[in-house]
This record gives sequence, C-alpha cells and structure tokens, in this order.
Amino acid sequence: MSKTRLTKIFLLLTMIVLSFVLMIGCSSGTTSSEKNSSSNDKNKSEEASEPQSGGTITIASMLEPDTLDVHKTAMSIAGLVTSHIGGTLLAINPETNDLEPYLAEEYNVSEDGKTITFKIRQGVTFTDGTKLTAQVFKDTFDRILNPETGATVAASLIAGIQSTSAPDDQTFVIELAAPSAPFLRNLASQGYLQPISKAAMEKQGDEYGRNPIGAGPFIFKEWVTGQSITLERNKDFNWPKAFSKNQGKAYPDQMVYKFIADEQTMLAALDSGSVDIAMNVSPKNVQKYRNNPNYYVLEAERQGLGLFLEMNLEDEVLSDLNVRKAINMAINKDAIIKAVLSGEGTPAYGPIPATIFGYDSNVEKYGHKLNKDKAVSLLESSGYSKNSNGMMEKDGKELAFELSIMAQYNQAAQMVQAMLKEVGITVNIQSMEAGTLIEKVSQGEYDLSFLAYSYADPDILSLLFHSSQIGGLNHVRAKNSELDELLEKGRTTIDLEERKQVYARIQEIIVENAYWAPIYAEKVFYVVNSRVKNVKLEGVTIEFHDSWVQQ
Amino acid sequence: MKQFIINRVLSGILVIFGISIFSFLLIHFIPGDPVKIMLGINASPEQVEKLTHHLGLDKPLLVQYGQYIMNVFEGDFGTSLKTGRPVLTEILDRFPETVKLAVFGLFVAVVIGISLGILAARFKDSFIDKLCTALATLGVSIPSFWLAILLVMLFSVKLSWFPIANGTGFRDLILPAVTLGVVASTMIMRLTRNGMVEVLSNDYIRTARAKGLEDGLILFRHALRNVLIPVVTVIGLQLAALLGGTVIIEQVFNWPGLGTLALGAIMSRDFPLIQGIVLFMGVTYVTINILVDVLYSLIDPRVEMGTKEA
Repeated sequence: MSKTRLTKIFLLLTMIVLSFVLMIGCSSGTTSSEKNSSSNDKNKSEEASEPQSGGTITIASMLEPDTLDVHKTAMSIAGLVTSHIGGTLLAINPETNDLEPYLAEEYNVSEDGKTITFKIRQGVTFTDGTKLTAQVFKDTFDRILNPETGATVAASLIAGIQSTSAPDDQTFVIELAAPSAPFLRNLASQGYLQPISKAAMEKQGDEYGRNPIGAGPFIFKEWVTGQSITLERNKDFNWPKAFSKNQGKAYPDQMVYKFIADEQTMLAALDSGSVDIAMNVSPKNVQKYRNNPNYYVLEAERQGLGLFLEMNLEDEVLSDLNVRKAINMAINKDAIIKAVLSGEGTPAYGPIPATIFGYDSNVEKYGHKLNKDKAVSLLESSGYSKNSNGMMEKDGKELAFELSIMAQYNQAAQMVQAMLKEVGITVNIQSMEAGTLIEKVSQGEYDLSFLAYSYADPDILSLLFHSSQIGGLNHVRAKNSELDELLEKGRTTIDLEERKQVYARIQEIIVENAYWAPIYAEKVFYVVNSRVKNVKLEGVTIEFHDSWVQQ
Repeated sequence: MKQFIINRVLSGILVIFGISIFSFLLIHFIPGDPVKIMLGINASPEQVEKLTHHLGLDKPLLVQYGQYIMNVFEGDFGTSLKTGRPVLTEILDRFPETVKLAVFGLFVAVVIGISLGILAARFKDSFIDKLCTALATLGVSIPSFWLAILLVMLFSVKLSWFPIANGTGFRDLILPAVTLGVVASTMIMRLTRNGMVEVLSNDYIRTARAKGLEDGLILFRHALRNVLIPVVTVIGLQLAALLGGTVIIEQVFNWPGLGTLALGAIMSRDFPLIQGIVLFMGVTYVTINILVDVLYSLIDPRVEMGTKEA
C-alpha cells in the first residue's frame, strides 16, 4: 500500500462519517418540502370538509399501557387504546352527556333498582369471528368479578353485582345486591368493561394482554414495547354508536399511539409533524397552540379536583373549626391558579367540581372566600394573638403546621406557605416521595397535605369522608354520623333529583366543617394538528369515530 | 495470561455478588411497607397480603435472598409488577436498542475523538490545537440533554430532517448517537492528542522523519499504533459508561432502551423490574471491564507481567 493512500483512506473515512449526518439530512430535505406543500394544500381546502378515508392518526401519550387486557389494567391510557378495539353496553353522548345504549340495543331497570336487563345488539362479531351474545357478556363480567383474574378498575366499576345471567342469546341480566346510582354510568366506561370472547382469551392465554381481540372499529396490529401501539381499521365494522355522524367503518386506515414520556419531546414531535395529537399537554405549554391555525386545542374540565388541602382533624390545633376556616380564608385560589396553571383552571369551593353529577352551584356562594381580616379575627376568637414576631400565638405556642407534599406540588405549597404567613400561621413544607407520603397521610401522621383526585361520580366522597375509610382515603379522619348516613344514601338513591339533594347537603356539611381547603379544578388539554378533523372529547377521553385525516 | 484472566473473572464475580445483594436489599431499604407503596392508596388488606406472599416478603431475609439468587441462575429475574411480564423479557426487549445506541454513539465518539486528537497533536500549540482543546472543554461542560434539545430544535423541528419519536431505524439513531458521541469523544480526543504528542517526540519518529517518510505515514503507521493502547481502554470504559448512561438521552429522543425502561420502572415503583435492571446492568458493566482488561493485556503484554510479579 502506498504511503499516501493510507492517509487518504483515513481522511476520506473521517469525512464520510463526520458528514453523514448532513448528507442524510439533505437527502430527506425533499420530504420536508413535501410536508410544507401539503400543509399549504390543507389551508386551501379547509372548507372542503367532506370526510376522507385513509391515512393514519398518530397520538402521543406520555404513558404507556401496562397491558391491553383491559380487565386487568388500572391505566386510563389502556382504557383509551382498547376503546377502539372494543365497545361497551352503554355509551355517553359527548354532546348531551346522556347515557345511551350501544352494544345493548336497549335496557331497563326494575322498579326496585336491583335488576337490569339488557337486550344485546345483533350482528356484532369479534374480529376473530366469534359472535357477540349475552353469554359473552356473562363470561366477561364473571371474569372481571373472579378474584383470580386480578381485575382492578374494571372490578371496582361493577362492584355490587350479585349475579349475572344470560337466559338467551340476546338477553343479559345483572342482579345488584343493592340499588346503585353510579352503576349505569360506570357501564359506559370506555374500554374497561368491553366484552372479551372466551375463545380469544383461551387461545392467547397469558399473552392476551399483548394480543387483544375485540369487536370495535379497529383491530389490534402491533405493540412495540416502549414505542408504539398500532391499530388497523376493522373493515367489517358497521355498528357505531348512535350519536356518531359516521355510521360506517372508521375513516383512517390506522391509529398509532406513540409513547413519549417527556413532554418537551412530545411537543417537539407535534411541531415537527411526527405526531398529530398530543395528549395531556400542560396549561403552560398549551398557550402557543391556541391561536395557531395549524392546530386546534380540545379542552375539558377534569372530573375531580386538581388540588385540595387536607387537614388532619386529629391534630389538636386543627380540631378547632375556627383554625380550619381561617386557613380556608387565607388562601388566594386565583393567585395559585394563575401561577400554577397559567390561569387555566377554576377555583373550587366544595369537594366536587362542576363536572361531576350532584355539583351544587350554591357552594360558590356559601363556600369560604379569601378574607384575611376574617381569618385573623377567627383565630383571635379562638384565643390566638399576634406575638412580637407578628405570628399567631396561644399559651406561648406559635401557630405552626407541617405541610406534607409530593414534589409536584412544590410551587402551590410555597404559595400557601406565604399566604398563611400573612395571617400569622407558620407552614413548614415537607416534600417526600409519593409512596411514603400516602402511607404517612393514611395513618394520620401529618398536619396538612395536598391531594388531587379524578372520578366521574360524587360517590367518591364516600371514600374520602366516610368514617369506615379512616386509615384509607379518609385522610382528614372525619367521623360524622350525619355525613356517613348521607354518603350511604347517596350511593343507593336512584332517583336523580333526590340524589342531587343528598349531595347538595353533603357538600354543605363538608364546607361548613372546613375539612378541606378546596383549591382548584383543572383542565385537560389535547392539541390536535388541524389536518386531523373532527376529533371530539367524550368526558375527558377522546372520541375518534367521526375523525378523518386530510390527505 | 491464564492466571490473569482467572483473577479478573473471580474479582468480577465478587463484584456481581455485591451488586446482587445491593439490588436485592433495594426493596428492603424503602421506608414503610414496600407492598403498600407498590399497590398505592386504594389497596385492600387482602391485596397487600397476597402481594407480600407473592413476592416472598413474609420469609426470612436470607431465605429470600437464596431464593432470589437461585431464580436468577435459572434466568428468572421475577415478574414486572406493572406489566405482569417476566423482568428478563422486559429487559431483553429493550437491551438491544440501548446497545445499538451506545455502540453507534461510541463509533461517533471514536471517529471524532481520534481524528481531532491526531489533528491537534499534528498541529501542536497552533490555532487548530487550541480550537480542538476548546471544543473538548465545551464537550465536557455541555449537559448532554441540552445538546440533545438543541439538536432536536434545529434538525427536527426547524429543518424537519429527522423525525422525532419515530422508532429505532437508522435515521432515528443519528441525532441521539451524535449527542452521545460528541460528549463521549472528548476524553478520547484528549488522550489521543497527549499520547500522540508524547510519541511524536520520540527518537524513532525523529529517525523516520529524517529518513524523509511522509507525514501521514508517520502519524498513522508509526505513532497511532502506540497511542491506541490507552485509548482502547478508554473506549471500552466509555462503552460501559454509555450503556449505563443513556438514560437522559433516551428520554429526550424517546428511545425505547433500558434507560427509559429504568426510568419508567422507578416512576411506577416496579421494584422487581428496578432490581432486575440494576443487576443486569451490573453484570454487563463488569463483563465489559473484564474484556477491556484482557484486551489490554493482549495488546500490551507488560500488563500481564505486572500481575505475575504481584
């Protein structure tokens, strides 16, 4: 080998490697210009909104499902993904929020509220060819209720079932132990309660969670761990929900869920066109998409409260109602919403937000408002007075609390700390890991703590305030017999008007006793690339059956 | 030589043994009842009891450890709490992606590091040398996630040259590999440069120059070979570091490797999975280290002699 050739080869190799990034980048420049031209086309044909078949809708989620065996999962993303490959007995109309039959053609509830009879829709087949019958529903529900299955959310949604039966192919009967108000709405929970054919389950065995088979508008195609789940259009699908405009099969050829754990990366992928929809975008990031014609923003108030302050009633100082009320009145909810949620939230005055059934808007009148003078005078009437440091003091002891939080609530905690200081209350923030916090708070080893919840029914209040839940979610350790009674009544009252009254009173009791300082209800945001049309929200999850891709 | 390898392997096994104890104890270090922490706030006492039993946490510590090690030898690292799949399956699903990224990143690092190192040595004390040193300092100081974000902003969002979170194809590999490579190249570059400078001052190089040999031939045939010995060691160690250190890069580029798996496992408090990943990475790290040492002793027999004397 000549002496110069060796050098040249080396230099050449180096050059090639150093520049391949650029070369590959350039060669793909064509794709990027294609993309630009297609986005211009899109703007031109904005008005021509005839749905088109074909294309792929790519959705970015920050979480990846644990399993697609939807009976065994507790993750809402698993519920959403599987909602495309299956259906439920009932569905909620996104426009009217009414409960409508879906895979059950009709249903009726017996007078005592304990027997529900469904007439199963005919002509529905699973993608493996199995027919949907009443027996399939019986098998499905029995599987969920069998403790061996290890069902979590699915089992809690239908807790209270005493027995199920399928007297004929089209009739499915549920017997409840006691009438249950939340039960029917639970049956519409996307994904979680979808029927599963026994044949598919037996064929796949333990692998079912990675090869699910359903009777929905899409067919499961592939799950690349850590990356994506791909669904393909079910060509034989012709049983959409009655409220869908599209009464045939789905428009797009494929739906792809991509899992991008980091929000900045997810938004970069949205900006670059790698994904069409970004789920659960945070309020501070949503602003820049608001007035951008290339995107539209879907938003919904979350069902549940985004932040509330719990107070431990067993703490000697906090057992004083005046102190709890004073804390309520010292907190400026609007300021917290502005800082933490970029203004995208609603101040909360009671334990449930307006999005949950039973919300009584009177709470906005009688709920505790920001009033520092009143807070101070309440403390004074309990025997506290300002000491030389300007802090409230009684019997030589300053009024001070520990606020136990998970790191994510740090900013809100610091604001509450500053607000309480203004009325003379010292707050020390204790930030800890979620598991430790939950254990400590459940055991009552705390003064003040932050929490949030998501739930579609006011029955959640039984978990949060019923005396039987002390040691569990009843962190404030409320023992109020009137409240207990009403919570039980709220669960079993079927008459909606009457049920509403019950929860109106429950909210009143909770606010009167200032067990919590409710802070805000927040929103969920989805940002959609405008090339994907007609994406709607059903509650807080997405409804895609009318959606199509501008080609 | 044989003795040297045996010694290295034995000490490696000792380290792995230590890691296994550490990763096993992980679950017992957690304050509070780990089972309650795993199951979350809504867990019923029956669920807690069931999982405690399932994880064998009701047995004496030593029995638990013995069982754990026996299972590991049979290839059973336990079951992921989140997905219900075997931990080993989860790891083996992701490991090749991390290897791909690390190896490619290392390739970029070696090419950049060695060529800039040679360049700097060849033009020692000149502007080029200073520029290379400055670049190396910059490379060490830049947080890799920041470089990653810059690259994404420029090449993916602005120029649309590379897709984001697209998959693990060749084009998806480039940006994360370049990020890793740039950061990892600095050490290789410094070492190459300094080694080269030292070698170039040797008599035999002067002799070669005096004979009128061409510059390139001197650099690559005579000098580089001698410089490569320490560089190879660093390359090996860099590979081990890259395998374990891709967590942030994987996160930014949404690369489905072991790093994102570990992060997800920590987030969802999937202790058997965390335990498995720690042990698996430990074994990988130790193995690479042994291979590097052996390779080193092959390239430079003096290393082996050193052990014999000891």
